[in-house]
Amino acid sequence: MNDLLVVGEGLTGLFAAWLAAKRGAHTTLIAYGRGGLELSSGCLHLASGASPHAEIASARLPHPYALVGTDTVFRALEALTQLLEASGLPYSGRLDANLLLPTAAGATIAPAFAPHSLARSDLANHGPMTMAGLTGFRDFDAALASRRLATRLQRSIATVDLPLPGPAPRRDLYATDLARRFEDPDWCRETCRAWKPLLIGVRKLGLPAVLGLRHHARVLQAIEEALELTAFEIPTLPPCVPGLRLEMVLREACLDAGVDLIEGAKAIGRVDGTGLFARASGVVAMTAGGPQLHNAGAVLLATGDVLHGGLVAQQNGLIRESVFDLPVVHNADRATWTSPRAADPQPYASFGVRVDASMRPLDEGGQPLLPNLYAAGGLLAGARRTEEGSRQGVALSTALRAVEAAIP
Amino acid sequence: MTHPAPALSADLCLKCNICTAACPVAAVTDLFPGPKAVGPQAQRFRHPLLPSPDVSVGWCSGCGTCTRVCPHGVAIAEINIQAKARLAQEHRPPLRDHVISRPEWLGIAGSLTAPITNPILRLGPARWALEKVLRIHRHAPMPPFARRTLRARMRQRCVSSPPADVANVVAYYHGCSTNYYEPELGEKAIAVLERLGCSVILPPQRCCGLPLQSNGFFPAARRQASTNIRLLLPYAQAGIPIVGTSTSCTLALKHDYRTILGVEGEAADAVARGTFDIFEFLATRLDAALDGIDFAPIEATALYHPPCQLKSHFMGTPAMRVLRRIPGLKIILSQSECCGIAGTYGLKHEKFAVAQAVGQGLFRQTADSGADLVLSDSETCRWWIEQHAGHTVVHPIELLARSMRLA
Repeated sequence: MNDLLVVGEGLTGLFAAWLAAKRGAHTTLIAYGRGGLELSSGCLHLASGASPHAEIASARLPHPYALVGTDTVFRALEALTQLLEASGLPYSGRLDANLLLPTAAGATIAPAFAPHSLARSDLANHGPMTMAGLTGFRDFDAALASRRLATRLQRSIATVDLPLPGPAPRRDLYATDLARRFEDPDWCRETCRAWKPLLIGVRKLGLPAVLGLRHHARVLQAIEEALELTAFEIPTLPPCVPGLRLEMVLREACLDAGVDLIEGAKAIGRVDGTGLFARASGVVAMTAGGPQLHNAGAVLLATGDVLHGGLVAQQNGLIRESVFDLPVVHNADRATWTSPRAADPQPYASFGVRVDASMRPLDEGGQPLLPNLYAAGGLLAGARRTEEGSRQGVALSTALRAVEAAIP
Repeated sequence: MTHPAPALSADLCLKCNICTAACPVAAVTDLFPGPKAVGPQAQRFRHPLLPSPDVSVGWCSGCGTCTRVCPHGVAIAEINIQAKARLAQEHRPPLRDHVISRPEWLGIAGSLTAPITNPILRLGPARWALEKVLRIHRHAPMPPFARRTLRARMRQRCVSSPPADVANVVAYYHGCSTNYYEPELGEKAIAVLERLGCSVILPPQRCCGLPLQSNGFFPAARRQASTNIRLLLPYAQAGIPIVGTSTSCTLALKHDYRTILGVEGEAADAVARGTFDIFEFLATRLDAALDGIDFAPIEATALYHPPCQLKSHFMGTPAMRVLRRIPGLKIILSQSECCGIAGTYGLKHEKFAVAQAVGQGLFRQTADSGADLVLSDSETCRWWIEQHAGHTVVHPIELLARSMRLA
């Protein structure tokens, strides 16, 4: 018997499962595929605007920030950054101002916290910088990134092409391939030796985010010492290494804390009893052989939004939640789900499950549907997370609140 | 239940590369373009009547990690195993592949001649000759054959039909490795089940056919599948659980027959639903019986490597839930998706170095962890890890048997 069964292996699910296991709860995390962290930059966005703190404090119901309160957001962030620090993946940032970081497309992002290696690029500092492309690595074009960034910021950014030692690869290299190569100390040393003469006078060097995976801190230090400069990383196309590093730390923290991880199985919610006596009893997991029952004292849905499988659009035009078939706040008229322009804010992004202050999904009348069913993260209604820049803040804070409610 | 052809799932691919990031083979060699590239991406260039456009899918080890991590339901590994079988049809496979695909024939011949065969297989020149003639790598693990098979030792348990009284009866699917190489493992598994109140029988059974499937001999693999379904169906229909200690065999019965080989129908479904990995069975069916056991402490640190084939059951790691009952035992989980051998992949001369590279992380973790022993549920993983990491590697059921004072 599980105390808590978490569904979903994204930031919300992994963080919640880790928190629950740390509180001594017997926790199982079940996931139909891995979550979106590997597609993300690994940065933590809380709120756009001058001060994330002020934005969070001014959130109004039914925004999840207003439900959980500012304090929960900060405590969640503290718990995560402490874990990351202890796991050799330190993050930096502030609550009263966002960072300004470059992307591989030469745009900028403004997270509150970012992995140390990304945060060091902070464009608010106006010192000279050079961006490096790696020969044969297609997923980062330094010339494109620097040209667009230079236009955006009205400053000049130098670029350099750096060769990769060894025979030419027999296929296109992914960011993960390079990250693994950099973990080989000999290869890393040889690379730095080849680069050194090309970097005379460079003080601050931007590289695609491929500087190691599991031993990233060691790789970064080795490169900076060998090249005698400050290096920062720019997140690339997926698989995006900084997001993968964050996912690996969280998954291993879960396993270390005793979480039972079930990957690959689709989960279907189970309810026992009716009316006032109805409770979530667990899930049915679709294993390779057939359905398997999992019992749980409480279930936490961390399945994400419509892009991540937490919400499904049905033939009849209704949107429902995918595990327990919960009602979803959404526009009845399908024509209004999307904006005409892909780059505009999308109305469907705010569809989701309405919850109470304990993160329990509510029925149309505003009453909790089941006393022991919780939802967190992208599944929730009430936030326009991309537009607001609140994606990770909502994920972490609602995960913490749900775990505190489920495992008192 | 009919399973949609894996190829049809290719259109669900968003090209997110989560599978590529997780693939243990693409991580160590640029000969393999990665599961997405050779799977859902290359699929659109494959035509049933035209030759395969690309041979790089041949580097796929078939570990199944890609399908397990895919968030969009693409049967990546299944697509790739079928594409590899097409390659085997188009390019005459070497004699070696025919030989290593038939562990049952090897087992029968090997156990009959064990006193002669075992010493010969330990000789360097013999292994050198095998490498030259058959292209089986000279350092690939080749465990000794048992002189007496499990079935010979357990003759009184061998049955030809289900018993009339099926209460607490368990049908043990031992597979080839337990029967011909590790009968002691089978004896311990049976002892554990009996101590927990089960009555264990050995139903008629044949090699699951997975090695044939992995090497692309689909017609022969389908014959094994149909035979096993026919032999095991009466037990499944009688409600007798079919329990195995070899995770890849049980995965074949549960999943591969239907989804990869296309051997479908109600009989295949009944056998699949009635089949359990032994720890799945213990954790889900015998929890109460386990509560009644006074486990002896084992003061040791064990590194547990759940085989890729076990994780493809989509049931997590049930052994962890059971082993936590052993007082004093500290378990470290493997950080590797796969040990490298992937069944018969690492035996092959041309694949050996890649398979070794896949396992490097695990071998290093074993050395660094200070573990006293390693646990793994699959026989080929155990032999491979033992050879490379130098640690004793046992099936987790053996440790449980020890703690239950049965070994």
